Amino acid sequence: MPFARWARPIRRRDILIAGAGVAAFATLGPARALAAAWDRLPAARALLGDAEPETAGINLDLPLISEDGSSVTVGVAVDSPMTSVDYVRSIHLFAERNPSPEVLAADFTPLVGRAELTTRVRLNESQTVIAIARTSTGRVLAAARNIRVTISGCLVRADTYDSEADLNTRVRVSSPARRGAPAEVLTLINHPMETGLRVDDAGDPVPERIIRRFDAHLNGEAVMSARLYRSLAANPYLRFFVAPDAPGKLRLTWTEDTGRTAEAEAPVRLA
Amino acid sequence: MTVKLDRRRALALIGAAGTAATLPAWGFPRVAKAASGRVVVVGGGFGGATAAKYVKRWNPDIDVTLIEPAERFYTCPFSNLYLGGLREFESIGHDYDELRETYGVTVLHTWADDVDPEAKVVRTRDGAAIAYDKLVLSPGVDMHWGALDGYDETAAEMAPHAWKAGPQTRLLKSQLEAMADGGLFILAAPANPYRCPPGPYERVAMIAHYFKTHKPRSKILLLDAKDSFSKQPLFMDGWQSEYGDMIEWVSLSNDGKVVRVDADALEVETEFGNRHKADVLNVVPPQKAGFIAERAGITDASGWVPVKPATFESAMVDDIYAVGDATIAAPMPKSGFCANTQAKVVAAVIVAELAGREPPSPSWANTCYSLIAPGYGISVAGVYHVADGRIAEVEGAGGVSPREAPAAFREREARFGAAWYAAISNDTWGTTGA
Repeated sequence: MPFARWARPIRRRDILIAGAGVAAFATLGPARALAAAWDRLPAARALLGDAEPETAGINLDLPLISEDGSSVTVGVAVDSPMTSVDYVRSIHLFAERNPSPEVLAADFTPLVGRAELTTRVRLNESQTVIAIARTSTGRVLAAARNIRVTISGCLVRADTYDSEADLNTRVRVSSPARRGAPAEVLTLINHPMETGLRVDDAGDPVPERIIRRFDAHLNGEAVMSARLYRSLAANPYLRFFVAPDAPGKLRLTWTEDTGRTAEAEAPVRLA
Repeated sequence: MTVKLDRRRALALIGAAGTAATLPAWGFPRVAKAASGRVVVVGGGFGGATAAKYVKRWNPDIDVTLIEPAERFYTCPFSNLYLGGLREFESIGHDYDELRETYGVTVLHTWADDVDPEAKVVRTRDGAAIAYDKLVLSPGVDMHWGALDGYDETAAEMAPHAWKAGPQTRLLKSQLEAMADGGLFILAAPANPYRCPPGPYERVAMIAHYFKTHKPRSKILLLDAKDSFSKQPLFMDGWQSEYGDMIEWVSLSNDGKVVRVDADALEVETEFGNRHKADVLNVVPPQKAGFIAERAGITDASGWVPVKPATFESAMVDDIYAVGDATIAAPMPKSGFCANTQAKVVAAVIVAELAGREPPSPSWANTCYSLIAPGYGISVAGVYHVADGRIAEVEGAGGVSPREAPAAFREREARFGAAWYAAISNDTWGTTGA
């Protein structure tokens, strides 16, 4: 266990309250109420172990309100030098009140250059979205944000899926601003991400069919990989970074729960 | 008890003519205060004009000033029919004669430039400072210039948004008329939230109608930042049956999201780097609340106005109310109908509060009619109330047109739509747009 026993949540919390006093408690109020989110969720709590996560240095970006919970853009960014000795090793996303709260778990190598990830999430109802990051040095960071999901009366919620485009992949790699700077990677695969919880027009259950895993390699070296869960929106979308020290080829692989894979390649240039 | 009855009778007389049908019933207080006051309304669209009119209608003693730059207001609803060649532009224009002459509203045709919520004063562009007890802001939307790379006010002169009815609408129409047969019309639709959720989809249908009747070899490409949209199955059925393959819709997941506009070249670039060149380019950019809402300090980080659900008073500043597209009223959509019904609730709240009464408990309604072709209408309707402190749709009260319906049904809905427009225009400005 990288986390010392002295970092047990109760003690740290006690110290914080005692140190902060009454005035600070008022300002900490909302943050602390949300902080309970990862304590409420066993999967998130399990990731944290005994640690009380840091809440500074991690930013979770999502809209306050979504008028269509079927695809909500969620971004996570962590302050990190991203060197070979100190980098963000993983980012985990949870949607607390979804039937299965896990959304995505991404593992990074220092090759990403920037600890930032954006994706699109399914949200069943108004709830708290939680992000947890773990670093190679044993730090744990967490953020939580509330979002209200309301289906506008003039909108019809539709997980419409274009089956003709099934397993089509797209990738776009921007040119880095300068040598060694991270380049932005956008990827999308057309895929229904069938949850197994839905019935079709005839009332029959639609079997689960999910992209389970995503891998990105640069010239054969791992950049990042991600486990995807059924709370990820249809047509899995990922935005992340790659910081090449030499030009090369970025190879992306998606693996379905059936074992079927799809691949895409894109050249990566230096500035 | 006698006091109560007398007041009720008095109010019934004030309300007169049809009020009972639209005014939610409320309880009357035992103690009445002087019921007058100064109400300033900014914005003369569906929300503002209705608020001004209904405050006066329910209490003529209240001094009401409406600030609206335009002497004639052109509505976004039915502006697509103008683009389709089904209506004259002047038929969607409305003036303020009824507000002024019948209801005694002071109408100032100038810009409201600033609000001082401490001094409770609105400053106008022509230098006046207008004091209020209650302020209603109905500023509609502003284009969020710069939110879409390459799309600013200059770009909009070449690639119009036409998302505020007026010169932009006429510019788009003239470009369509100048386009050669066989040309490509591109509409770039934004992500939610934006003014009039079904608007882009009705617009391409109306332009398809114009092409079908004048330039049948032309094509329409609808690039969308969304994977689904309002009344989608109905629109797609209608596009197909009326216009065959003329309209192609590209969803977000099929790289429909426009991320850069080159207005000089009439070219757009999508998220994954595809470029599309148009003969006529219509960019509907991301939007935000009209600027006076920002000046008044009632917008949040989203650029829209959070309101207290039961009263539509700003969640941030006392005695400022907001209605219409500028507000965060979801699940109510940003529609003219919603603005009108929100404005009536705000008028009722203000009249009650100035009289020292408890405001009524509200409900709202909305219908969005869309026209796919002459004689082919569809609709979606909803009824809303406050539940658990939030605006919520009343379960089972709304609905959408059926998917499989005979032509006569679509024809009826087209007529209902036209009748709706005449009725709501009459309710708002006292003009029917005929």
